[in-house]
Amino acid sequence: MNEDVPTPEAAVVAERLTKKYGSLTAIEDLSFTVAPGEIVGFLGPNGAGKSTTMRILSGTMSGTSGRAAIWGASVALDPVGAKRHMAYMPENNPLPEDLRVEEYLTLRARLKDVANDRVTERVQRVMEDCDLARRAAGRLIGQLSKGFRQRVGIADALLAEPKVVILDEPTIGLDPHQILGIRDLIRSLRGKMAVLISSHILHEVEQVCDKVVIINRGRLVAQGRTDDLRRELLPESSFSIVTRASISELTLACQRLEPAAGVEMVSQNDGAIRYRVILPATSPIRETLASGLIAGGLNLREISEEKFGLEDIFLAATRRSPAENRRP
Amino acid sequence: MRHFRTLLAHELRSALLSWNTWAAGALFLALMGSIHWFAVLESSRSPQDWTPVEATFRLFWLPLLCVLPLLTMRSFAEERRSGTLAALLTTPASPAAVVWAKFLSVWVVWMVFWLLFTIFPLLVEIQLGTPGDHRLSDPSMLWGGICFVAISGLMHAAIGILCSCVTRSSALAALLAFISLLALTAAGGAMESLPVESWEWLGWLREPAAHLRTFAHLQDFASGILDSRPIILYATGTLLCLGLANLAIEGQE
Repeated sequence: MNEDVPTPEAAVVAERLTKKYGSLTAIEDLSFTVAPGEIVGFLGPNGAGKSTTMRILSGTMSGTSGRAAIWGASVALDPVGAKRHMAYMPENNPLPEDLRVEEYLTLRARLKDVANDRVTERVQRVMEDCDLARRAAGRLIGQLSKGFRQRVGIADALLAEPKVVILDEPTIGLDPHQILGIRDLIRSLRGKMAVLISSHILHEVEQVCDKVVIINRGRLVAQGRTDDLRRELLPESSFSIVTRASISELTLACQRLEPAAGVEMVSQNDGAIRYRVILPATSPIRETLASGLIAGGLNLREISEEKFGLEDIFLAATRRSPAENRRP
Repeated sequence: MRHFRTLLAHELRSALLSWNTWAAGALFLALMGSIHWFAVLESSRSPQDWTPVEATFRLFWLPLLCVLPLLTMRSFAEERRSGTLAALLTTPASPAAVVWAKFLSVWVVWMVFWLLFTIFPLLVEIQLGTPGDHRLSDPSMLWGGICFVAISGLMHAAIGILCSCVTRSSALAALLAFISLLALTAAGGAMESLPVESWEWLGWLREPAAHLRTFAHLQDFASGILDSRPIILYATGTLLCLGLANLAIEGQE
């Protein structure tokens, strides 16, 4: 690989990317960056424009306007320079059915400018990393299971030790064991390569990624670290409380402590009722809610703070109105 | 043309391992073997205007229309359908290298078929001919015809490649190639048979039509006449088709 290019500030730059198909706008004014060595989750509902963006970044599709750059090289003006630093695994991971895994990876290594004397070593290395060496190296790709085909796609992406790896739904159709394996593999890339990964499995993204970029209807709706987005998009704290008290008694007790508190009933079981108490994120009583309610005369069976997950962040971000989304 | 040699080696290897190539080869040899067999039989029954080799070569358009589209149809159409072409273009390999590698691999296979055909006249001469009498194998016609097939085959293969670039369906690519090659082969003769002299507004067609006389080119090559005009025609046709194929691949989304 070409190592003489200095490390840029951003490994991937998407700057005001727009793609239009006639009157249909697939993505509009989309801007985000991925830092070197960072793993970024690229999220959005179906049809949001994720695959379109990834195809533009990988150079397999041209944008209508805007700029895309990989490791400092413009995808449109210097496609070879960009491709030399990037590997892309498309959503359906198309592979030639009539080649054996080792033959295919050898061909791809040669096409990706891996030095001749390193081709065999790199192919063996990625086959071991992706658990292909023992069970699949000599098999025809057309005879492989979905899981192994995904592994071949990821092995191909890692072959030339690129600076940027773009993976479109790498775990789609895999069983939980295979997902764990791929997740560990992607996690092992942290710090070595910039990885942009799209996935519908939000839990998986939360486990693996340093940062998320969320798009909806072709527009950027949120980007940043999960904790920062949680604070930005979900500015409240939620507590789960189980007690025998009625909703009016609990609401009164909570509002005595925090006038802005809200209470809703979640479920009822054998006389005990589970409530959700929602407080402003900045409310000082978050730390003393349990003792405050007990001091107010309530008997609590259970109290715990509910942590908002990426799913909640995703739903909150994609629910925001377009006007809000346009705000800087 | 980055990675042209790697891609060409891959294409040739794929062609060698593909059932499609073997089926096309079997069809080609069966077709040409039968044509040559009947030409020899006809020559043995009564004197003919043409030697058996010449009579066989005059039917070169049959394998051209039936076999060449089978070789070119999958080259891009199948890769576009399966998505492997897009994956290939994410590597630093240039689209031009991909187009030229596929084109040359088809041309090489096409020439291997024709070189295998030369075994038939040689076998006939060994079995039936007398030493020193080459009328049965007709070497000048044989190698002149092979030269014609080699040079015209460049453009024919390029047309097939272009047809494969514009669709995701191999069957449609084969049909497009068949129609294009048929039009090209028949164009010269068809235009010559039109009474263009009586239609003043078509008079300008006479000279271009004269350049498209494929059978006259075959005759010239077989007679040892090296006319630069058909060579330039086939070379520019080849470059034009491959240039268009390159644009089609670069512009695919």
